Amino acid sequence: MTETVLELIGTRMSFSGKQLFDVQRLTFRSETCLVLTGANGSGKTTLLKIAAGLLAPDRGTISFDGRDFSWQRAYRSLRRRVVYLHQFPYMFDASVFDNVAYGLRRKGVPAPEARAQVRQALEWAGLSGHTSQNARSLSGGEKQRVALARARVLSPHLLLLDEPIANMDEEGRERTLFFIRQMVSDGFTVALATHERQLVQQVAQLHLRLEGGRLIEKAVPARTRLKQTRVKKARSA
Amino acid sequence: MNDISSASLRAFELLISGDAQLWTIIGVSFSVSLRAILIAVPIGLPVALLLAFGRFPGRRMLVTTFNSLMAVPAVVVGLTVYLMLSRAGPFGDLKLLFTQTAMVIGQAVLALPLLIAMAHAALQSADLRAWETALTLGAASPRALLTVMHEVRFALMAAVIAAFGRVIAEVGVSLMVGGNILNYTRNIPTAIALETSKGEFAQGIALGAVLLFLALVLNFFLNLFQGRGELA
Ligand SMILES: Nc1ncnc2c1ncn2[C@@H]1O[C@H](COP(=O)(O)OP(=O)(O)OP(=O)(O)O)[C@@H](O)[C@H]1O
Ligand SMILES: [Mg+2]
Repeated sequence: MTETVLELIGTRMSFSGKQLFDVQRLTFRSETCLVLTGANGSGKTTLLKIAAGLLAPDRGTISFDGRDFSWQRAYRSLRRRVVYLHQFPYMFDASVFDNVAYGLRRKGVPAPEARAQVRQALEWAGLSGHTSQNARSLSGGEKQRVALARARVLSPHLLLLDEPIANMDEEGRERTLFFIRQMVSDGFTVALATHERQLVQQVAQLHLRLEGGRLIEKAVPARTRLKQTRVKKARSA
Repeated sequence: MNDISSASLRAFELLISGDAQLWTIIGVSFSVSLRAILIAVPIGLPVALLLAFGRFPGRRMLVTTFNSLMAVPAVVVGLTVYLMLSRAGPFGDLKLLFTQTAMVIGQAVLALPLLIAMAHAALQSADLRAWETALTLGAASPRALLTVMHEVRFALMAAVIAAFGRVIAEVGVSLMVGGNILNYTRNIPTAIALETSKGEFAQGIALGAVLLFLALVLNFFLNLFQGRGELA
């Protein structure tokens, strides 16, 4: 059974007096891959950043753990529970290891434990060979994987991915999608924003479209769900 | 011509023989300027942070002000500090005029606008994503701010080095509030300026060589750090 991880209610946002959106309800359900589509400039990034506690909406209620909060009261909790990945993830000017360890250190995880977790996450991301390399010198796809590993070690309640496959070649896309699917089947709640409809067929279990400042639920092709279950089965086998 | 080459030879001798007076002067320069920077950094950095990330009315005007203050000649800063510290001035009772402390204060004042302007530019060049990434990975705001500063550390170091380069080579402040007292407030620039006029060429050339060498070293590091900034 899926349950509500986080809910945004009555989220209104405008820039310099011009309203961008007024979203009645956005619900993130556990173990569900939500795909948020919308044209360029429709406000996908803005909405994700609000959900991540990085950007204050004009108005809006955040609901989690069965309680409602104003955004201003919720944003600290949001930052602890939600990890947001930029379209081009930012790499700290430090080693790949230190990048992935960053959040664990902020949490105060003891060094030996953190080290083990980082190693494991790097192995998962296929980056074990780059552990001590400066993360800035990685390729775009590798940076994406560092960012995924960096989020993964924190076991966030919700993982928000902004245009995760934009500006990638076919192979990079396939690879990134593989990792995203894996995280979904590992039980992570993932939402991703994209303006590419192709992604809906590839990973969506729920498809929402941001259009004219409103969220519209769209149908999800049946075979996506099928693919999802297959991954799950393959992993548990 | 002969005079200059013999003076140069003598300058070289002074430098390698470890001439006590010469090295005292060099010591005063470094000691005073390092202390000035040590005072200026903890004042200038928070101001730069506030200018870069604070949201308050008049912020832009303050940025412009510090940028313009960079152009104020050292003698004018020297004059201002002199008036403050002179017996009739508001801080006259402290009897600081013609002491190393006065030089330290004057040089710190001189360093601040450059330090603030360059540190502000460094912080402004920081990527917003660095701040957001730190926060989303669970850093509290003060810690996220430290992370952002760490990301632009080379540009910040360049600011400190440029400020040090500015104060160690200036004459105006040191002369006006220090007074060029031998073994006390006489530093490299005041020694060059005043001793040369008395025909002491060798010492001037030796000290000039030290400053030149220092300028090369500082510029080397400046370029190194600024290069790192661009790469990142
Ligand atoms: N800080 C800001 N100040 C002013 N306007 C902004 C700001 N951030 C976003 N906007 C505006 O809000 C609108 C939505 O931006 P947003 O980045 O959320 O769109 P998006 O759906 O993610 O677009 P894309 O598909 O191009 O990534 C845009 O018109 C943008 O110009
Ligand atoms: Mg966007």
